Amino acid sequence: MMAAVTSAPARLRTPRAVRAVPLSAARLLRLELRRSVMPWILPLIAALFWFDSYRPSTGTAALYGLRTFWNMGQGHTIIDFGPFVAGAAAWMGSRDGRRDMADLVTATAWPRWTVQLATWAATAVWAVAAYLVFVAVMFAVYARQGVAGTPPWWWVAAGAAAVAAFSAAGFAVGAYWPSRFAAPVAAFGGFLAMALSSRTGFSHTTGWAQILPTNSNGNFDGSAQANAGIFYPWTPDLPVARIMFLAGIAVAALGLTGLPARSGGRRLRCAAAVVALAGVASAWTAVDLASTARLTTHGMVIPALHDAANDVPIRYTPACGRAGTVPVCVNPAYRSWLPDLTAALAPMLAETAGLPGAPARAAQFAAPYPSNNGALGEPVTLGGQPLVLRLSLGLLNMPGSCRLCVGPAVQKGFAGQIKLLFAHAFVDAGARPGSPAQQAVQAALEDTAGVPFADQTMLLTMTGTPWWGQPALLALTNGSESGNGPGPLAGPVYAAARRFAALTPAARHAWLSAHLAALRAGQLTLKELP
Amino acid sequence: MTTAGLNRAVAESTPPPAAAAWRHRLAAGCQLARLYLVSRRVPTALALLAGLGSLLWAALHWHWTIVGGAAVRQFIPLTIETGAAAVIAVTTYGPFGEPERAAGRWLPWLRLSAAVALIAIAFGALAAGATPGGLPGGTLALLRNLGGMAGIGLLAAAALGGAFAWTGPMAFLLITEGALAHRATTPWVWPTRLPSDRGGAICACLVIAAGLLLTTVRGPRESGRESGPAS
Repeated sequence: MMAAVTSAPARLRTPRAVRAVPLSAARLLRLELRRSVMPWILPLIAALFWFDSYRPSTGTAALYGLRTFWNMGQGHTIIDFGPFVAGAAAWMGSRDGRRDMADLVTATAWPRWTVQLATWAATAVWAVAAYLVFVAVMFAVYARQGVAGTPPWWWVAAGAAAVAAFSAAGFAVGAYWPSRFAAPVAAFGGFLAMALSSRTGFSHTTGWAQILPTNSNGNFDGSAQANAGIFYPWTPDLPVARIMFLAGIAVAALGLTGLPARSGGRRLRCAAAVVALAGVASAWTAVDLASTARLTTHGMVIPALHDAANDVPIRYTPACGRAGTVPVCVNPAYRSWLPDLTAALAPMLAETAGLPGAPARAAQFAAPYPSNNGALGEPVTLGGQPLVLRLSLGLLNMPGSCRLCVGPAVQKGFAGQIKLLFAHAFVDAGARPGSPAQQAVQAALEDTAGVPFADQTMLLTMTGTPWWGQPALLALTNGSESGNGPGPLAGPVYAAARRFAALTPAARHAWLSAHLAALRAGQLTLKELP
Repeated sequence: MTTAGLNRAVAESTPPPAAAAWRHRLAAGCQLARLYLVSRRVPTALALLAGLGSLLWAALHWHWTIVGGAAVRQFIPLTIETGAAAVIAVTTYGPFGEPERAAGRWLPWLRLSAAVALIAIAFGALAAGATPGGLPGGTLALLRNLGGMAGIGLLAAAALGGAFAWTGPMAFLLITEGALAHRATTPWVWPTRLPSDRGGAICACLVIAAGLLLTTVRGPRESGRESGPAS
């Protein structure tokens, strides 16, 4: 009988049978979609997504770069989804083993690995679709709230790849360890991986760690992040590398599930091994690419993946207003803050009107990317001919509630900070604290523009104020500072500033007309101030 | 097959002495407890708890801390405590369902004893893992956090079923992480409070008491649906 069977000619698959393969595969997937536990977890994930990804983001200014810093840049959408998806996938992966049906399933018409892939695909389809829907709803709400700029679509794709990778890794855990503990262990592993990713990522601004999905350094760097998607496109280099990395992990994990002997025939298992190796190679290549990433003025660039078309600035028609007689123009994404800006600049421009160093107009410029959290550039400078007040508003916290900011309420501080930065630029101190005379005139100009000396101490330490704020603060308090904050206002700089502020506007104007050049050159001492 | 043996057995069935009866009942009790623990996969849970203790030791010994404030530094120890709570919660899943409920007179006490014992063992394992020092809040915070999160796991078992009870502590971890990041200090998110804080301790105690009560009286939820979360 055996001889008869083996000697029988192999039957070729009929066209009808060939047609039936995708049909039955689709039917299998449909069955698995119906039997998946993933939909049961989605309400919980939705609640966590609202609580952990959406809710904190509403505390930032209505710009995509800021709104998505927490949920996309620091990967909280992934943290909210990933571990739960890994747990559910592990539960599905361990299903046959837990029910002692592995042998039964092995004897079916389809190879076991193929059936397992269908089970995983159903879980991944639910998870990725839910991720995309939740993010779409979040962006729709943002759009309703008038959030300006372009959404970071590439980061959304990276998040979807991460969800797929978690599902594959969790599925592999369940397939190899058919236990009730597979799901919590996979979920716990997901949380731990995210925690370790944050641990390494937060402290690495360059190098291989850029590949980690919770590393916000790079395209979500410092304060200049606010300009991505407004002045220039989001650079896709880093998210593309992360997608390669995460897809590689997913493919490698799925390949591993096809290695056991009962997964299928020898050729199928060889194919699974090749798939696993291809996944590892993809992940490895992505890590290698990420290690070549460098921060440019437009964000993180990976030379091998970079497309010069992404460096082209986004064209726009500026939104303009007037601060007194001086025109003030900003990117239309900042239109809603134009009244705040003109109101803040008006008293300073009135104070300096007619002086040789007074700006003829004010305009917003893109903040450079390599701001590197703390080593911020100058948000307000004077330059050009005729003189233009150049405003890099992306380096500042715009008015509005700011749950993620450390320090006083931004609403109150914005106007004062603009005045402080203008005064600093006007006395030409540049990226340095300036001479004592320059510090005194700077403080006096702010005081006369409506920022009392007492409030200036807060502004000098506010987020967005460059490093020279601290020395300027010490100059106003005569070097006094404690753990409770700055000391009382005192010392020669403060005395000179008070003296200068007490002059009549006409006297100040006359003195500045005569001495501004010397003041800017740093040639004046405190004693030479009136 | 005859009835001879039966007759002999009846003839010899004299009441056993009291000490022998106690021994018999004790042996039966031990056997019942053993079978219960095996059916709940407690040996595997013990191995996992030991592994989590070792992981905590490694995290503290090699200073696996996230860059940021004092609150963020809690995150990795909290994740490990959450893992322990999730393991405890999953042991509540029973494979026998209704027959066990109908026939198991001692089942509520077994559920209570197993849960309390596992929480105590988990605390011991994590406290041992904390010996390198540097655990934020010390052992008092560990006891409060682990107990509260185990309570959440037991409540989740009552609501979702034992197999998916791990989602409760994991969801609470995410809420805690958000609260730590945004400096929220509600006592219901007790890991954000100081170890000596009374409000946080009361909330954690309330949660674990509710979890133990529900686990004892009602047990984990059992779903008749194959595809349900408790399948």
